[in-house]
Amino acid sequence: MKVEFIDEDDLKVRFILTEANPAFANSWRRAMKSLVPTMAVDYVDIYMNTSLLYDEIIAHRIGLVPLKTDLERFNMQDKCVCGGEGCPSCQVSLRLNVEGPKMVYSGDFVSDDPETTPVYNNIPVVQLYEGQQLMIEAIARLGTGREHSKFQPVSVCAYRIVPEIVVEDCDGCEKCIEVCPRNVFEMENGKAIPAKVIECSLCYECVKECPLDAIKIDEETGKFLFMVEGIGQMPMRTVMRKALDILKEKAEEMNKIIEEVSL
Amino acid sequence: MFPIRCFSCGAVIAHKWEEYLAKLKEGKSAKDALNELGIDRYCCRRMFLTHKSVIDEFARFRGAVG
Ligand SMILES: [Zn+2]
Ligand SMILES: [Zn+2]
Repeated sequence: MKVEFIDEDDLKVRFILTEANPAFANSWRRAMKSLVPTMAVDYVDIYMNTSLLYDEIIAHRIGLVPLKTDLERFNMQDKCVCGGEGCPSCQVSLRLNVEGPKMVYSGDFVSDDPETTPVYNNIPVVQLYEGQQLMIEAIARLGTGREHSKFQPVSVCAYRIVPEIVVEDCDGCEKCIEVCPRNVFEMENGKAIPAKVIECSLCYECVKECPLDAIKIDEETGKFLFMVEGIGQMPMRTVMRKALDILKEKAEEMNKIIEEVSL
Repeated sequence: MFPIRCFSCGAVIAHKWEEYLAKLKEGKSAKDALNELGIDRYCCRRMFLTHKSVIDEFARFRGAVG
């Protein structure tokens, strides 16, 4: 299996996975979405809240703020040496003590750990008016997307099949160019050629409309176009690699179980 | 208060809210402002277009009850 990047920036990547099968493509997609752990606030102590929002709403809003995550340094709480009680290697506390009038931003939180800070410092959390006060300790821990979507490292994570389109004996009627909603076809030397196959949405309009039945589409190419958009807790390549590590671990565990059963 | 994430896709959007307001104040249309901010999915765009903050209105009644 191979991965070719089409375009890549900090948050958005598009890549083609080749020599794969739908089962693998989908497990990878699901692993990126729901199995890669990230840090997020999960427990909030509210010492003082005289703002206009309820404690629960503020706690929920703080939970949704993404935090930069270094997966090398933190353990999942259930697998930590502390046995889930909470220690510096599985949780980080963020403190906030502000008085109004002021807009409270995510950047106002003071983190125990200088590297586990909000990804964006300008997320408005709550508006405080004259005389209102907010005193909070928020505890962040690792969690996965299957537990709560605030732990997801990606927002959009989708793939589609890249087909193989074969045009034989084209007479250049340009019907396919006219009918294709994704503009896959182009004319070259009086013949239609599938120039942008990765745009194809498998609508089969070209196959239906071609008067000569010259167009054939093969869906089982083992090629998948992935479109992934990160939240920003960690680089996209880290998310992709970590998802593969987790899948490998799971597959090995499965192998072990099968071996035990077949003994 | 403006939602921190898009309800549908889960992308963080609140960090662009004040920039969006500033662009509207400059006289830009909501469409141009959202395009410039790179909010390209319609789920996220409707979060901006349909938001109405009521916290300022609440604040007028502060201290009146309780
Ligand atoms: Zn621990
Ligand atoms: Zn959205």
